[in-house]
Amino acid sequence: MKNSIEAIWKEGFLNESTLVAPRINDLYNQKSMHVVDRMKRMFRINLVVMLVMSVIFPVMYYFLGVLWQGLAASLLLLATAWYTRRQMASIGTLDQGATSFDYLSSVDRWLKEVLLKNEKIVRFLYPLYFLIAISTIWSTFNRPRGVAWSLQQKYPHSILVDNLSMLALIVGAVGTLGMFYFSRKIYRFDLRLMFGGVFRKLKSTIAEMEELRGANSLTR
Amino acid sequence: MSNDFYQLSILPYAAILIKICRAYTSSQEDFEDYYQEVCLQVYRSRESFREQCKWSTWVYRISLNVCLTLLKKKQRNGQIYFTSDVLPETSSAQNSAFESEPLNQLYAAIRRLSEVDRALIILYLEEKPYQEIADILGTSANNIAVRINRIKERLKKIMDEKFN
Repeated sequence: MKNSIEAIWKEGFLNESTLVAPRINDLYNQKSMHVVDRMKRMFRINLVVMLVMSVIFPVMYYFLGVLWQGLAASLLLLATAWYTRRQMASIGTLDQGATSFDYLSSVDRWLKEVLLKNEKIVRFLYPLYFLIAISTIWSTFNRPRGVAWSLQQKYPHSILVDNLSMLALIVGAVGTLGMFYFSRKIYRFDLRLMFGGVFRKLKSTIAEMEELRGANSLTR
Repeated sequence: MSNDFYQLSILPYAAILIKICRAYTSSQEDFEDYYQEVCLQVYRSRESFREQCKWSTWVYRISLNVCLTLLKKKQRNGQIYFTSDVLPETSSAQNSAFESEPLNQLYAAIRRLSEVDRALIILYLEEKPYQEIADILGTSANNIAVRINRIKERLKKIMDEKFN
């Protein structure tokens, strides 16, 4: 080594004005890609879980002796997976050529639209899942000498509608209505649980970028 | 971030911030990301500054903490492409200052040091007094000189092995 490290350093930075600080507004490319990639990855995981469950459910339900309910749940899951797949494909249509801020803002808008649509869909989807669950429980209870039979023996005067306990029908109806009414809240809770972290990251990144927009074109 | 804050409180230290960020990154994208994060964290922490040290010390301390945090995060995510045995591509930053070959070689050698040693040597090369280096790194000034000598020896060895 000819020169000392001090000399190399000094000569290398002889003219500090040649050091160019990056422009702040252009700096979020990588970060925004990370956030969106993470979101896509989570959507994909969700999709795979739904597909796996749609295969497992009929098998599991078959062994419980309630194959039809298993098939219904599987069908519903497949429909949900198909819809999620379509939504995921639509994120690719967003303009990636725009600035990071514009891109992330359009992702945020896309997300809001998707969630709004989903909130409408889950109003019917959740009650359906609930009905399948109730029907599964009822079918397993209603076997010879099962729970339903025991209850019938214990309370022989309970009202039956078409061989179904009135009380069970009321519970089912109230539950279904409850699912319909609270579907939005349940969906939001569900989302927070699964995607809360990445949604917060998206929001905070956009907020940071908005904050930095004030420093535009300063760093040259 | 207001224009004034950037102009008055960050821009005067931009040169050393660039030099620090370069020591922890091996691509232009990473370098810009680190610099961005440093500016943002300096801005965010401006109200925590209690004037117990110089503003410049505060800025350097934050910049080093940010670089170390980001580097650790990247290492966890497996996004570091070079190991201590393989030197990364050197000429990455779009700065004419970084066109100097010996300087790029020096940077490549610096990147082979431990995270703290990188900070130490850059502050030393920037001719910061030992006490200020100690303040920035949160250590005592006593062993700084000894440590710097060791780092310099190591850098010389790396550069001799790799480039001569």
